[in-house]
Parts: sequence; structure tokens; C-alpha cells
Amino acid sequence: MFNEHDKTWRFFKTFNIVIVALLCLSIILPFLNILALSLNEGTDAQRGGIYFFPREFSFGNYIEVFQQSSILNALGISLFRTVVGTIISVFLTAMAAYALKTKTLPGRKVITFFIFFTMLFSGGIVPYYLVLTELHLTNTIWVYIIPSLYSVWNILIMKTFFQAIPDSIEEAARIDGCSEFQIFLKIILPMSKPVIATIGLFNAVAHWNDWFSGSFYVRNPELKPLATLLQEMLTRQQAMADALLRNSGAYAALEKITVTGDSLKMATIILVVAPIIMIYPFIQKHFVKGVNIGSVKE
Amino acid sequence: MDITSGNNIETAPKKKKKHKVKPMKLSYENIWQHRAQYFMLLPCIIFFIIFSYLPMAGMVLAFKEFRFDTGLFGGAWVGFQYFERFFNDPQSWTFIKNTLIISSMKLILALPFPIILALMFNEIKNNKIRSFFQSITYLPHFLSWVVVVGILQSILAPNTGLLNQVISFFGGDGSTFFLMEEESFHSIMFWSYVWKDIGWNSIIYFAAIMGISPSLYEAAAIDGANRWRQIWHITLTGIRPTILILFILSLGNILSAGFDQIYLLKTPGNAEVSEIIDTYVIRTGLQSGQFGYATAVGMMQGIVGLILVLVVNRFSSKKFNTSLW
Repeated sequence: MFNEHDKTWRFFKTFNIVIVALLCLSIILPFLNILALSLNEGTDAQRGGIYFFPREFSFGNYIEVFQQSSILNALGISLFRTVVGTIISVFLTAMAAYALKTKTLPGRKVITFFIFFTMLFSGGIVPYYLVLTELHLTNTIWVYIIPSLYSVWNILIMKTFFQAIPDSIEEAARIDGCSEFQIFLKIILPMSKPVIATIGLFNAVAHWNDWFSGSFYVRNPELKPLATLLQEMLTRQQAMADALLRNSGAYAALEKITVTGDSLKMATIILVVAPIIMIYPFIQKHFVKGVNIGSVKE
Repeated sequence: MDITSGNNIETAPKKKKKHKVKPMKLSYENIWQHRAQYFMLLPCIIFFIIFSYLPMAGMVLAFKEFRFDTGLFGGAWVGFQYFERFFNDPQSWTFIKNTLIISSMKLILALPFPIILALMFNEIKNNKIRSFFQSITYLPHFLSWVVVVGILQSILAPNTGLLNQVISFFGGDGSTFFLMEEESFHSIMFWSYVWKDIGWNSIIYFAAIMGISPSLYEAAAIDGANRWRQIWHITLTGIRPTILILFILSLGNILSAGFDQIYLLKTPGNAEVSEIIDTYVIRTGLQSGQFGYATAVGMMQGIVGLILVLVVNRFSSKKFNTSLW
């Protein structure tokens, strides 16, 4: 039926796979390069010439990273906001989405538009920042969690998913005397594991990656998450990384100085990326599902 | 920045539902009957009032002199002073120009890449190989720009960076500090942007392609259309609504060229082309405390974005029958 044996078509198919494979290589190779650099002695790496394998293999950079109290502290902050922020946010989002899915709800359209409109227009970063200040959220750990509890997009995805659950199930529960909260907790939530996984993962990744709030809303260095710490390393470059090293006791203990600011940076990059890459194979299908649920209009 | 994830948005043209349940009228009994739902929505509504609508109201700051003791809504009126200052400053035009250049590169030049990738995925008929490739291309989307810029700093470093090593291997000068070069900024910005989101953005196009009925291809084949013509007339036509919707939504960002990436890629060497409205607002507002002035600049940005979305949405609704709502 299709002219599969057409020569140009067959050439194209091979060409097609090669291009896609090259794209994938362009994604994998930079990581291998960073990984190799992070596993190489820092002073040796400054000579250049390291591609995808370390030349002077050493765990020195990682040992150094885990001896930096500021990095360990930042790791703790990142873990805290990711876990706590995600759990609260998913629960609240599901509650809002469940209420919004109720077709008989008076004022449903108005409320939905009220929420959707915030996607199109915002007051801008400065009034937003001043609101955070007046709420005394800035410079506390809650500035990571509270302002990101809801996202319009996540509410819409959940709502679309809930709408696919047949009303008859809820009706039956209602007749049996279940309250709305019982229906939500005992029927809707257990039936919605896939979408909860998706939204939870979106949330967790956003928390883990967010460096902005740590940079601009928080001054206390002990409250900075890992992503912000890495951002500060990148912007202040050498000076900052060297200062980090100088302050650490481990630095003096090393007989030969092998860790440099740059190599420490590489190890930190790997530390930020590693959790995402390690869980990625197990979760990526959920992400894709989320996007596809979201793209189906009500 | 807010923590919303994904690009995405509702595609598919409007469909009429068979059984339409209408919301009940606003009467006391109806509202009481749904008290549980309202209770569940309450934190959500309060959240958006505080974190979205209160800052919108706070835009009055653009016409006021901010004082810490009186807060967001105090202070004396200054009229259009900040706007005049912005437009009278010749530097501002550089920022506007930079913003427009960067955002149109992202909105228009980058637009075909994920579509082409989705078409290419569609031609890989082996499901296992295809989804393997797909999952690799989605990966960079989940990495923070901090990580991507960190990788770029390393790969593009003078002398020791991967790229300079390759250049000197082929006999070139391997000491270019790409991130400090004004000429390299646009290509670094553009290709890192395409690289990061090409896979992720292709998901939605790929799903749209999957949704096209196979019978259309069969019919076209019988009519003698070859594969190229089928891609052109059926696949691309089939995903046109998706392309349009995503394009309309992205227009809202025309005056915000993507803060994270640009802020992190900005160096003293390329500031002449990399200072955009977003970074300028952060610099004058959050970093040097000129709250009123920065609010005014941010407000113009938001309003232009909103107007563009509304106008283009209307146009698309009339012309292509595809609309956001």
C-alpha cells in the first residue's frame, strides 16, 4: 500500500534514525564528560584533555563535597522542601481538582476562570516579592513551600483525570451514606494513583530544581537549597568555590591539594542531577502520561 | 518564578458533549448542598487571591513611591513618572530589542524543531527503539537551567573545555571564552534552549499525530499520495490546532525571554546583548530596591503579553476555529 520499497524513502528512514540517535548522543555525552571530570583529580583536570573517562581517577571531589557543611546543609533543605512541599501540594491540589470537577457546583465556571486567568496574567515579580515580604515568608523555609502549593496547570490535569471517573461510583457511595470527604479520601484518591504519581513527580522535580526562590527570597545561607548553592558557585565562579575550599578543614588535611573549585563544581552538578537520573527510568512514563492527560480538553 | 511545570495546554478543537450537566443556580440551598466542595476549594481560592491577585492589585505601585513603613498600598502617587523614566532612558531600548530578539528566536525559530522531531519519531516503527530514544530526549527537560548552564560552562570553557579541545585538535585556536563572547551568545542561548526542551515539546505533537485516524492515510495512499505528501497534507494538517494553541500560549511570553536561562548565561562579556527586561526588572527591583520603577517595567511586560494572547486567540478562533477557551 505505501511504497515502502521506494529507494529515497528507505534512505530517509536510515537517515532519520541516525539523526535521532545523534540527538540522543548530544544529550548523553555532556553528562559523561561532567561525570569523568568529577571523578578526576581536580589539579590534573586543569591540564585539559579529559573526554569521557577520568585520567587520574579519584573520589576526592566527592569526599570534599560531602565534607562541606554548607553543601550537606543545602542537601537537607532540598530534601525537606521536596518531600514536605510535594506531599502537601499534591493533597491540596487533588482536593481543589475534586471540587472543581463536580459539574453541579454553582459558580464552577467562574471559579475555574478565576484560577485559569492567573496563567495569562500576573502582577509581576516585584509586587509578588513585596507580598511575600509582608507575609513574613521571605527568609524562612516556608517561602519554598507555601507559594508553590498550587499550580494552575496541575489543578487542570487532575481535574481532567477525575472527570474520567464515572459519576455512578460516587453516586453509589453517596447513597451508602458516605460524606464528600469520605468519597474523596476513600474512593477518588485510591483510584487516582497514576495522576497522583504524575503530579507528585512534577512537583518534586520543580522543588528539587528551583534555585530562584533560594537566591532572591532568602538571605540566610543556612536556608539555601542545593540548586541555589550550585547557582552561586556558577555565578561567582572560582572565587566562591575557592573560598568554600579554604574554609573547610579537610582541605588542610589533604597532603596534596587535588581538588579545585572547578572539580568541586562538577561533583556538585552530579550531586544535583544524580537523583533525577536515577529515578528517571522508572518515572518517565508517568510524566508523559501527565502531559497527554493535560492536552485533552474537557 | 512559579513552580508550574510543563508547556502543554489544552489542544483539540471544541467538542460538544452529549449529556451536559449544567451547574445549578446560585441559591442558598444549592450552595449549602455543595458546602464540602466549597470547603475543599477554599484554600485554593485564598492561595490565588494572595499569591496572584494581590500582586496584581500591587501593580498600583507602578504609579506610587514605595515606602517600607507603609507597604504595598501606601506611599504617594507619582503618576507616570516611572514610565517616562523608562522610555527616556536610551538603555531601555537596548533591553527591549534584546528581549524581542531572544524571544522571537525562541518562539519562531525554535518552533519547528519539536514538530520535526515528533514527525521523525513517528517514522520509527519499532516501538521499543522509539520509546528508548524518546525517553532520552525528554531527560534534559527535568534538569534545572542551573545544571545545564553548569555543563555549558564546563564544555565551553577556554582551553580545557570539550569544544575548545576539539577545535585545537583540528588545528584551531582553542582559547576562545565562548560564554564571554558577545557573538556566541545567541547561538549558545538558542541551541541550549532547543536542546533542553525539544524532546519534551515533541510529546504533545507526537500524541496529536497518534490521534490522526489511520484511514486518512489509507485513503490518501489510494489517491496516489506518496509518503511526503501524506506527511504534508495529513500529518501536518492534523496537528495544526495543536501547533496553533501552543503558539498562542507562548506569545504571552514574548516580552519575557525566559529568565532562568538568560540570567545564568549572562556574563560581563555578553551583557550588551543578554540584558533583557526580565533581568532588568530583577536587577532594579529585587537587587537594588527600586520597587516602584521595576513594577512599572514589569507591568508593561505583563500587559503586552496578555493583549497579544487575547488578540491572537481571537484571530485564531475566527480563522482556524481553534481557541484557548
